[in-house]
Amino acid sequence: MSEIILEARDLAKDYWMGPSRLRVLQGVSLSVPRSEFLCILGPSGSGKSTLLHLLGLLDRPSVGRVIFEGEDAFAQPKRWRDRLRNQAIGFVFQFYYLMPDLTVLENTLLPAMIRTPLIRWPLARRAHRQRAVQVLEDLGMGHRLQHLPRELSGGERQRVAMARALVHEPRVLFADEPTGNLDSVTGGEIMRVLQGLNRKQGLTVVMVTHDERVAAQAHRVLHLADGRLLHDA
Amino acid sequence: MTYELLATPWGILAVGVAGLLALGFGALILWTSVYKHVICWRYLFGGWKAVVPLISALPAALGVFLLILVFAIMDGFAHETREMTRGTLADVIVDSHMEGLPYYDDFIRQVERIKGVETATPIIQTYAVARVKPHREMYPGVGLMVKPIVRPCQIIGIRAAEKVEMGRFKDYLLRQHSDRYPTDRLLDLPPEFRKTDPPHATCIAGIGLIGIPRAEEVFKPVKQGAGMQVLAFTVAGICLIALLFIWRVARRRLEGRSLSLGRGIVWGLTLWLVLLAAGAAADLLLTRFAAGGWGRTLVTYVFIAPAALAAIVALACTLAGPVYGIARWGTLKQKERPGWLVATAAGGLVVLVLGGAGMFWPVAEVEVQSKDVVDFPLLDYGDDLVVSTIPVTPKGAFETEIGGVPKVSSRALALVDTFKSKFWEADSTQVYVDFKVAQQMAGMEAQPATDDRPAVPARCSQVQIKIADPTQGRLIRDRIREAWRTFASEHRDIGILNLAFNTWEDQQKMILTVVEVEKNITALMLGLMFLGFGVLTALISYVMAYIKSRDVGILKALGARDAGVGSLFLGYGFIIGLIGTAIGLVAALLMLHYLDAIEIWVNQTLHIDVFPREMYYFESIPQHLSPLWCVCVCLGVLALSTLASTAGGLLAALKQPVETLRYE
Repeated sequence: MSEIILEARDLAKDYWMGPSRLRVLQGVSLSVPRSEFLCILGPSGSGKSTLLHLLGLLDRPSVGRVIFEGEDAFAQPKRWRDRLRNQAIGFVFQFYYLMPDLTVLENTLLPAMIRTPLIRWPLARRAHRQRAVQVLEDLGMGHRLQHLPRELSGGERQRVAMARALVHEPRVLFADEPTGNLDSVTGGEIMRVLQGLNRKQGLTVVMVTHDERVAAQAHRVLHLADGRLLHDA
Repeated sequence: MTYELLATPWGILAVGVAGLLALGFGALILWTSVYKHVICWRYLFGGWKAVVPLISALPAALGVFLLILVFAIMDGFAHETREMTRGTLADVIVDSHMEGLPYYDDFIRQVERIKGVETATPIIQTYAVARVKPHREMYPGVGLMVKPIVRPCQIIGIRAAEKVEMGRFKDYLLRQHSDRYPTDRLLDLPPEFRKTDPPHATCIAGIGLIGIPRAEEVFKPVKQGAGMQVLAFTVAGICLIALLFIWRVARRRLEGRSLSLGRGIVWGLTLWLVLLAAGAAADLLLTRFAAGGWGRTLVTYVFIAPAALAAIVALACTLAGPVYGIARWGTLKQKERPGWLVATAAGGLVVLVLGGAGMFWPVAEVEVQSKDVVDFPLLDYGDDLVVSTIPVTPKGAFETEIGGVPKVSSRALALVDTFKSKFWEADSTQVYVDFKVAQQMAGMEAQPATDDRPAVPARCSQVQIKIADPTQGRLIRDRIREAWRTFASEHRDIGILNLAFNTWEDQQKMILTVVEVEKNITALMLGLMFLGFGVLTALISYVMAYIKSRDVGILKALGARDAGVGSLFLGYGFIIGLIGTAIGLVAALLMLHYLDAIEIWVNQTLHIDVFPREMYYFESIPQHLSPLWCVCVCLGVLALSTLASTAGGLLAALKQPVETLRYE
């Protein structure tokens, strides 16, 4: 049996709408073995993104625990979770979320720039840049290094977002509807990249989507409805 | 004053702490993550958005500029006033007012034995009336209608050689200020000025007492070319800013869409030529208009026509087109852009040439005719100044004639020199005479015993004391006071005298305090301007953090810490403050450097007399720049801008990443 890299135990998440409580996730438990391509499928409003944010340590659950590589993430200090997001986790979002003022190369270098102090940058820059250029070239973006995000197409932006998520060689990649904002051809290309990374490099991928055709390409699919997991497909 | 302060233990401690803080700040900058520097830089200087921080930096620049400039000028006034008042006095003054201080020579010997005292001299000071009968020939255009002028004055009796040791008395003499006149003969009347036989007693009178102010055309030395230097530096600065923008935009749009090489050059050059032609025409018209007609010769030594300035600014700004066009020349691949290099080199060359022109533009001292206020003396050397006073008895009463009429002591004093300290109070009232003459006039000479009264020793009004270290004035003053107590206890017949022991600053407290208070009020009022800047920076920072909330979410999703993202906006505010401070500081220093040239330019070009000489009695606008004040103002602005931007910093730090990333 493969090692469990990520585990959720009885997760719940509440939002407060004035005086009334809205429970968007309830009793969600799951385990993700290393190198698995897991897809969480559900209709809009089912709590997929909320679950992904909790698993990716972007948000704190109201109830339950997230175990990352055997450590209870929310029992650790916030600094520990920040470092984990910077060094062990990659995110790809539906709307790319690239920094509009930075070039393609700078966007890709962002995780390295977050963890490197200015005094070390002159020595570290060359290695980081080489790695970023390599990843961008692998994703077919080597010719757009100095471009701003607004000068790119949707598919190109998503490739840059993927480069940024992969540049620091994360152990888990979280993808929130990565093809949701793309046409079918470009979406297919993005999925092929994700599958390739999972197969060739053994990257653990956790993806949420509402598209069953996209979900079909994963190793395992979990259905989420009204904040509860239904069953494994 | 600044250096004196820095030499104290507290000053050394303050400098040490400031150095440690600077080192700490430097270390903090070096140990912060790279992303903050990169993103902060992009927020500030990313294309045309740079206009926002530059505009918000303007209030800070204006504040720094005004605080440094106004404070330097007011401090200059205060400094000059202090120097002037000090020059007419001594370091410490023992004042017995009009009652008189007996046994003064014995007391002086005792004072001179005190550690720290260099020398001391007795002074007679009494109030009088001076009568000036003007020379008809010396007052052209008035003729026989001139009447004698009667003015209140102060008779000051001095031992010339000793008084010269006290302050800057000799420097203020208009005839005998050089070293070739022996100090012990300053009150001697030279034979060539002698008009009576035997000669009268002599005096040195303040120029304001025996003269009248007159507006005259005088030849003044000015710096020719200083205005061109100012212009070259200004335009170089504008060019630099314009070229930075263009450099940035061209780099961003190397693969852009709109302007082609040919069109860029054509548009830029056309716009430049049109503006230059319009500027030149306006220049010609305005210059002639300012000169008062077509036939007049223009004064050009520092003349910079506003239209010429506008035209050259337009040239600087319209370099945009050609430079942008050239920047796009060549292949558009990432690493092959010859046009880009040419444009950068051309832009840099323009700035270097203009900056070099500013530095090396020849500045020559030339004399020009200018309207100025001069003191026109109504007496010639050797002429009599008649001074009248009423002697005061040792008991403090006016001496009277038979019948109770006050006895007037009147003397005709031959003028040997005139005195100009630029301190109006002194120059318009003081008449310096020999100590013994003044003593007789004031009734303070020794009087032998008579049948109805005992002998009275000679008296003086003041003892002026020069000390070795002027900063120790108060300490020495207290030692002198102690010495007087001992001296008075040894001379029981003196009785109780109401002596005042003052340093020169205490003596001139009123006038110095007024100047200081004015300076502080101005600084306070200008300082309030910074509150506006603080509010503006806080608003800009908050709005920036709000607009960029998605960026905040992205950074936090990628592992940036809350405090780190918050400090990014603090850095944003700090850099706005830094830009404002730099602009304000450089502008203020340039303005102070060229203050006189600018004053003449404003006077000649705009016909605004910003510094009327008849009001201020200074030859040029005084200025005294305190480096400590500059540092305080700059640090204050930087601290305020950083503090104000905590509004944006807090918003960014407290923002949850999912709040911004959940919704698009």
